[in-house]
Amino acid sequence: MDTGVKYSNDTQVDFVIVGSGAAGGVIAKELSTAGFSVVVLEQGPYLKASDFKHDEWGYKHNGDLVWGKRKGHPQTFRKSINEKATEREVCFGYAHNVGGSSVHFSGNFWRFRPIDFNEASVLGPISGTTFADWPITYEDLEPYYTKVDWEVGVSGLQGSWDPPRSRDYPCKPMPAKSAGVLLERAGKALGYNPYPAPVAILSEPHNGRPGCIHCGFCNGFGCEVDAKSSSMSSMIPLALSSGNCELRTFCTVSRINLDKADNADEVVYWDRAGVEHSQKARAVVVCANGAETPRLMLLSESSRFPDGLANSSGMVGKNLMFNGWSSAEGIFDHPVNGFKSIPTTRVIHDFYSIDSSFGFYGGGGIDSRHPSDGLPMRSALDSGRFGGPRWGSEYKRLVREEFTHTAAFHGHSTSLPLASNTVTLDDTLKDRWGRSALCCTYKDHPDDIATAKFFQDRSVELLEAAGAKKINRTPVVEQESNVHLLGTCRMGDDPENSVVDRYNRSHDVSNLFMCDGSSLVTSGRGQPTMTIMALAFRTADHIIQASKRNEI
Amino acid sequence: MNKVLSRRSFLRNSSEVFHKSCIVLTTPMILSACKEASKDYSDSPNFKILSVNEGKEYAAIASRIIPSDESPGANEAGVVFFMDNVLSDGRELEHNILKEGLKNLQAMGVENFGASGFYSLNTDQQDQLLEEIEGAEFFETMRYLTIAGMLSLPEYQGNRDNIGFKMLGYENRHAWASPYGYYDTGYPLLGDK
Repeated sequence: MDTGVKYSNDTQVDFVIVGSGAAGGVIAKELSTAGFSVVVLEQGPYLKASDFKHDEWGYKHNGDLVWGKRKGHPQTFRKSINEKATEREVCFGYAHNVGGSSVHFSGNFWRFRPIDFNEASVLGPISGTTFADWPITYEDLEPYYTKVDWEVGVSGLQGSWDPPRSRDYPCKPMPAKSAGVLLERAGKALGYNPYPAPVAILSEPHNGRPGCIHCGFCNGFGCEVDAKSSSMSSMIPLALSSGNCELRTFCTVSRINLDKADNADEVVYWDRAGVEHSQKARAVVVCANGAETPRLMLLSESSRFPDGLANSSGMVGKNLMFNGWSSAEGIFDHPVNGFKSIPTTRVIHDFYSIDSSFGFYGGGGIDSRHPSDGLPMRSALDSGRFGGPRWGSEYKRLVREEFTHTAAFHGHSTSLPLASNTVTLDDTLKDRWGRSALCCTYKDHPDDIATAKFFQDRSVELLEAAGAKKINRTPVVEQESNVHLLGTCRMGDDPENSVVDRYNRSHDVSNLFMCDGSSLVTSGRGQPTMTIMALAFRTADHIIQASKRNEI
Repeated sequence: MNKVLSRRSFLRNSSEVFHKSCIVLTTPMILSACKEASKDYSDSPNFKILSVNEGKEYAAIASRIIPSDESPGANEAGVVFFMDNVLSDGRELEHNILKEGLKNLQAMGVENFGASGFYSLNTDQQDQLLEEIEGAEFFETMRYLTIAGMLSLPEYQGNRDNIGFKMLGYENRHAWASPYGYYDTGYPLLGDK
């Protein structure tokens, strides 16, 4: 398998990038095609389109992509530091493979909007939270959003519903599915402005990749034809063909060492056989995700940084945000067949900012989906939402209707940053490499729960307007696991209360960069990957410019 | 993948739930010799980890969760072979919990119907026992494995002849084209006028 050029561990390369996901893949491509020598360390395998299957048991239940306890990577969870954390199969969900979670994500690809960057100063501080403005604005990031649109590949329909954009989408919107039509008709009837969901899935050939074949296995699966715009499909091949990038798979990073001048000097890792190596680099870019990036900083403590590398602010691992979520499901007279094609085709953003008269902070969007992600097994497991038995002959008949005749309207919403929601190292539990296991401490802010319930109420009204025969509400509960891992090495101008600066450079270590979900200051409205990729393009741009000025 | 991965953990760590929920039947029942599980895949099985008796019992339980009626069920789909396959894949702990659960179920069979083999009870008796333990860990795990065995790819040893997919009205195609359902048929890009 092509994994690019080969560099010696003793030779100092320009950059080591830890992680090849949404951010790491973009930065690897940008830096290597700009002529820099790059080593990418990825702890999982290099799976390609031809490796992926419609394998619900393997991916969704057996942990083939998202490792957990069974694979030797246990995690622990507690709601507050006063509780003892208990072991979980998976609490932070992320894929361990080249391309990271951009391989198995849904492809729902909303840009953040201007308000996401300065909402704290618009609304004022919220007591008990670390709600803050970003050091950058939407306008700063817009050129990079457009870069993502065109280089990574996004399908959508330009319109009044969009935040300001400098260029149209490269690919036309995906065809509407029945659940999308139900949402759009109901939304218009209620006076809202539904529109075609922007997705990181190609509706037509683009950049040498084919259009979607609508197989229905997006969310939790790898795309079998490279139509999903993962960094694995869109960026890694360009990095490898640059002749400047080496991709090292099955390499698990244990720590980053500093030189005598307190600059990042080498990255220490285990290979697949457990043999320890280290790679010298001029600078290090950590893109390991919102759980693994803070873990690596905490594991890389030293006499200079006793509380963790680049953690003089104490903010490493804090302000974890999951995004809120709610669902209401309806059963309809005719086939909806949500198991075909992409997860969602229509979205409503009329409640991007909920009016303050409701008495809580929040906002988000509603999209149309299948209640069980269109998955046969999960659908049968979940069956019984609308009443009826959960097993036996009658169940056999009901499960068919619930699979084919249902739609779900999901609310995706804000999470407030709280210093008490954290990624830390577990006191006792270790992973298969002997590293401290990830510990999650998380309790939704009451406003986040109120926001999720607000969206569920809107979803129920929309299902009624759409003509659902029966409606179910999935209970809104405090979250104990998620795939959105945001805010844990937040960006800011003030080194006292942020980990990286406005260009994703560590305040403490000048040749150390961090870029992934951990950089986000606010949570957005529930679809963070587009913003993570845009930040990655911006970070790479800055690194290239700073290198040219000999500032790295 | 959006949001929670699988909302169900494979198994809870304790079998306490089972004991709590296991209400012992007190009404005496007459044992029926009726044996519905005639088409029994476990008569001469080649299991990786299950004993022959376990295989018979799990197959009988799966057959009540997804019965063979006007259409084929768990028995024809070979669900017990899926169970054997996944339990042998580094799930010793879970397998032991299931063995304990089965013992309890068999004890209920003795107490109520005078027969220890769940497979030897008639379907009414079987259903009666399963209704008693619905919601308990053992039952929920059997339900989970039965459904997973119906709807996983046949390479995992269940879902023979795509019986599970047919039950759901699902076809495992590589590609679909619009229209996908009733409501999007003829639907214009910008919606209704």
